[in-house]
Amino acid sequence: MKKILGIAVLLLVVVIATAVLSHDAVSGTNPFLSAYNLQNLCKRIGEFGILSIAAAFVIVTGGIDLSIGSVVCVAGCILPWLLRDLGVPALLAVPTVLLLTAAIGLWHGLLVVRLRLQPFVVTLCGLLLYRGLMRAFTGDQTMGLGTTGEGVRWLATGTLPLGDGFGLPVPLLVFVVVAALTSFLWRRTVIGRHLFALGSNREAARFAGVATDRLELLAYVACSLLAGLAGCLFVLDVNSAQASNFGNFYELYAIAGAVLGGVALRGGEGLVLGVVLGACLMQVLPNTINLVAGSNQLEFAVVGAVILAGAAVDEIVRRWLARRRPGKA
Amino acid sequence: MKSFLVLSVVSLSLFTAGCGDAKGAAAARPKVAFVSNCVAEFWAIAQRGAEAAAKEQGVEVLVKMPPTGTAAEQQSILEDLLAKGVRGIAVSPKDPANMGGLLDQIAARTLLVTHDSDAPASKRLAYIGMRNYDAGRLCGQMIREALPKGGPIVLLVATLDQDNARGRRQGIIDELLGRSVDAARFDAQDAALSGNGFEIRATYTDQFDPQKGKAVIEDALGRWQDLAGVVGLFEYEPPLVLEAVKAAKRLDRVKVFGFDENDQTLQGIVDGEVAGTLVQNPYEYGYQSVTLLARLLQTPDEAQRRALLPAGGFMDIPARRIDKSNVRAFWDDLKQKTGRK
Amino acid sequence: MALAARGIDKAFAGVHALRGVDFEVRAGEVVALVGENGAGKSTLLQILSGSLAADAGQVRVDGEAVTFRGPADAMARGIARVAQEPQQCLQLSIAAAVFLGAELRRGWLLDDAAMVAASRTLLARLGLDVDPQQPVGSLATGQRQLLEIARALRAEAKVLILDEPTSSLTDVEAERLFAIVDDLRAAGTAIVYVSHRLGEVQRLADRVVGLRDGRNSGELARDQISHQSIVGLMVGREFAHATRQPRAPGEVLLSVRGLVTSAWPQARVDLQVRAGEVVGVAGLLGAGRSEILRALFGVDAPLAGTIEVAGQPLHGRGPAAAAAAGLALVPEDRQHQGLVLGHSVADNLSLPTLHRRGWRVAPQRERELAAHWCRELDVRAASPALRVGSLSGGNQQKVVLGKWLAAAPRVLLLDEPTRGVDVGARGEIYARLDALAAAGLAVLFVSSELEEVFALADRVLVVHQGRITGALPRDRFSEQTIMLLATGQSLDSDEVPA
Repeated sequence: MKKILGIAVLLLVVVIATAVLSHDAVSGTNPFLSAYNLQNLCKRIGEFGILSIAAAFVIVTGGIDLSIGSVVCVAGCILPWLLRDLGVPALLAVPTVLLLTAAIGLWHGLLVVRLRLQPFVVTLCGLLLYRGLMRAFTGDQTMGLGTTGEGVRWLATGTLPLGDGFGLPVPLLVFVVVAALTSFLWRRTVIGRHLFALGSNREAARFAGVATDRLELLAYVACSLLAGLAGCLFVLDVNSAQASNFGNFYELYAIAGAVLGGVALRGGEGLVLGVVLGACLMQVLPNTINLVAGSNQLEFAVVGAVILAGAAVDEIVRRWLARRRPGKA
Repeated sequence: MKSFLVLSVVSLSLFTAGCGDAKGAAAARPKVAFVSNCVAEFWAIAQRGAEAAAKEQGVEVLVKMPPTGTAAEQQSILEDLLAKGVRGIAVSPKDPANMGGLLDQIAARTLLVTHDSDAPASKRLAYIGMRNYDAGRLCGQMIREALPKGGPIVLLVATLDQDNARGRRQGIIDELLGRSVDAARFDAQDAALSGNGFEIRATYTDQFDPQKGKAVIEDALGRWQDLAGVVGLFEYEPPLVLEAVKAAKRLDRVKVFGFDENDQTLQGIVDGEVAGTLVQNPYEYGYQSVTLLARLLQTPDEAQRRALLPAGGFMDIPARRIDKSNVRAFWDDLKQKTGRK
Repeated sequence: MALAARGIDKAFAGVHALRGVDFEVRAGEVVALVGENGAGKSTLLQILSGSLAADAGQVRVDGEAVTFRGPADAMARGIARVAQEPQQCLQLSIAAAVFLGAELRRGWLLDDAAMVAASRTLLARLGLDVDPQQPVGSLATGQRQLLEIARALRAEAKVLILDEPTSSLTDVEAERLFAIVDDLRAAGTAIVYVSHRLGEVQRLADRVVGLRDGRNSGELARDQISHQSIVGLMVGREFAHATRQPRAPGEVLLSVRGLVTSAWPQARVDLQVRAGEVVGVAGLLGAGRSEILRALFGVDAPLAGTIEVAGQPLHGRGPAAAAAAGLALVPEDRQHQGLVLGHSVADNLSLPTLHRRGWRVAPQRERELAAHWCRELDVRAASPALRVGSLSGGNQQKVVLGKWLAAAPRVLLLDEPTRGVDVGARGEIYARLDALAAAGLAVLFVSSELEEVFALADRVLVVHQGRITGALPRDRFSEQTIMLLATGQSLDSDEVPA
């Protein structure tokens, strides 16, 4: 719990700062707090949040998945192909894509568990392999639904109206469901407990009779499956997937969101709530820059600087408190 | 390490199996290369033009597209092509200001032409394309006609380090602000620009990420309620802009302009949701580049060769304005050229 | 005075670990520091060796007041500490580990040949017959401790702090260590010696300093040292082993035939353990004792052999199958194999049995179970929600035992059940094993302490090079016989089958 307090405060500071900075004194409006902007922000948080949970699944076992962006690309290219080129109904197409991406995860898991390859190597090669295969598969054509698929695109662009012009974007709802299920799995089931024991001390977990191999496999499947789900949402949202760059670097955003939220890279530690907060911060910062600055040239620099400053302040405050109040644990 | 090797070999063989078509028969024919600056549908059309010309001229053409669209990647592609011994290269240089040395090195060893985006300072034989600055001014004219009272405008471009991106953007800005024609002018990305009733609020870059492109336009729409127009300068961008404006329910107040001939852009024009687009002729880029390289290869005499080059080293493939009046005819022609439904 | 500390205070999170502790050691003197786990010994040693800073008080080296900036600083002033569970870089070569931080160089380059040669000499002096070019990870736990001593010898320390140096050594190796300590003392080194084994303390110490609840509890001069007086310093009460009634074993619960471990592919192991019987496994380090237990529990897949628990052959592979069949293993390495140190006491206690209570985790029920086992085994933790890594060694070991007792096993396997466990907790564990045997469990344990084997076992199996070279009933227990069998010499005639 203590680990996510820092990110929660940082998020709050950024949100308040953006609300103040983007306030337009002349018209009295606040673009940041407008229903339209919040709706967009929620949608992106939903989409990228699912990716961060995907990354967290593997990170808590002490592994890493660098292929997330390429799995997003696979979903982004295959889903339009199924829907538009093959005319598969959406109710069948989306599960097919999820099954395919889950199979990718299974393949990663088998290589890690059975062949004992390093997760870094397996998924780094996956990163290259799937993107390359998708480029060949699509012939470098942009994949999109065109003007078809209005119905299924509701999954990514639809909202549940709450009045006052604000509607909850469907991707956020999907994310909330995924986050709630994940949280339940991690905190309240044997699988979750074993997953964390494995991430914390693989050897001790094995000595306790935990089926470490099967669980690790499961983590990779969950990761790729969720990356596939997010990929579907991304392509349904932007309706344009180019195999060469769709989802490029998204693994880094995903891992950053998870790690910011307190998921330890060494494994065995993490809270879903922290991942949610981390994903929020990763989306609020670019929004801040777009709403406040004249161009988005500084985006990466600002994201990097704010996160670094936040982490440093967090650590400094923690030490200062530890020194001031030796009496409290 | 051993297992890593096995994996690499497996993936490599998968990869080569996927691209190993149409070899063998072409072995005897001279090779030329056509290099794009990224991967896009636009270049797929150019590829068809290049392949059509290669067939006519009896040469083999290698079409290369840098998958992540970085200058470094394009450079290594060009170096590999040189190593492979191609007889001519047509390239759309990513970063002409810093690639001069490499381009001159290529020019010294083989035939070099540029297309789509020029590198005027290099020793290239010819540039095949449009003047992006002129295309930008054409786009500006279109915007002025659609918005006679002017208003705030936002531009979306993949990156500003390419000559074509800078030219298009500057053309639009100069035309809207009523400035003189000067292709060498450049306004900084965050410069405050207004005049003639127009105001350029921002130029956003998305680094070829469509999700980001859509997100920045969403943010711009949220930030400014009075936006009058948004221009997407790269092929994949107008559909993203259209999606964002449509989702914000602002189609009645925000006009969408674009470049290039993405299906969704054209459909938007048909539906009256996109005001118009400026199209290049990628098919011709590919066709003319390969034709010129092939003819040069087939002409041994130096004087005759020089006569083949266009005047001033520039072969103009002018941009065309596509709006509601001509979109149908253009689209049908495009489908026929690309052989798609 | 080589090293002296006056009025040392240290608190962690508001809890005083040390209050006004005084301690000193002279050149050429061996001072034993004794106390139960949690008495503050480790904290004091960490302060003396620069790993921790005291809240109050003064440390003097050769009469000069010092403030250590870290262990390296202390090392530079000639103070070396051999930790009980040393942190080591397992991938480094042994020679590189010996010289870590003080590498021999020739110009800018590492002089590996010189380091290997010097390491070989140092290791030989400690009786460790290994190739210095092998990785540290190839050493057994006990050998790694000798490596730490080699590091201290290399640094030519003026003050050598030995924290439970024999906890993972066999008696033969321990004897060699004592000889080294004697040598060093004669050469003028000041030695601080911490051990739970009172026999060693009596054998080595010139003076004994006691700690109890973070305070000095007294001092014994050479002529005052006795088993009773030391225990008095530690616990304030006398502690004695009760002479045990002979047990009456029942049916055979564990039956092993033709077991072949991957460590000793040439050796076949046959053994049986009955209900209510406690069987000890003795042997030298690296003789293959732990490997037998690991193979029985499925941690390492055996190459061949059948294992029957209560007459039922063990089906399936791996610890999960073994646990389901009624086996349980309290492993050798508590910190890496026994516990998930970063998790709570409660989570550790429930780990092997959680899945038996359905797929969902009910926090309330797990809390109650944890509280039950903490009470049952007298685990001294403020709350079961505490990180298990923050407990003392003895309490950690009780948690490992508890998590397996919660699984209600028929056969309990233990590998060094009291390593790094203080006298008090040790007694509790012995009593618990006694009670378990009385309740009909079959107990098979490996121990390097013959004292422990004699105290607990009904029968001793001696292992040499992966083979059981002899089985001795309680009435034939003798140190000499076991050492003969452990070193591969056969007895005259009457070997008892395992």
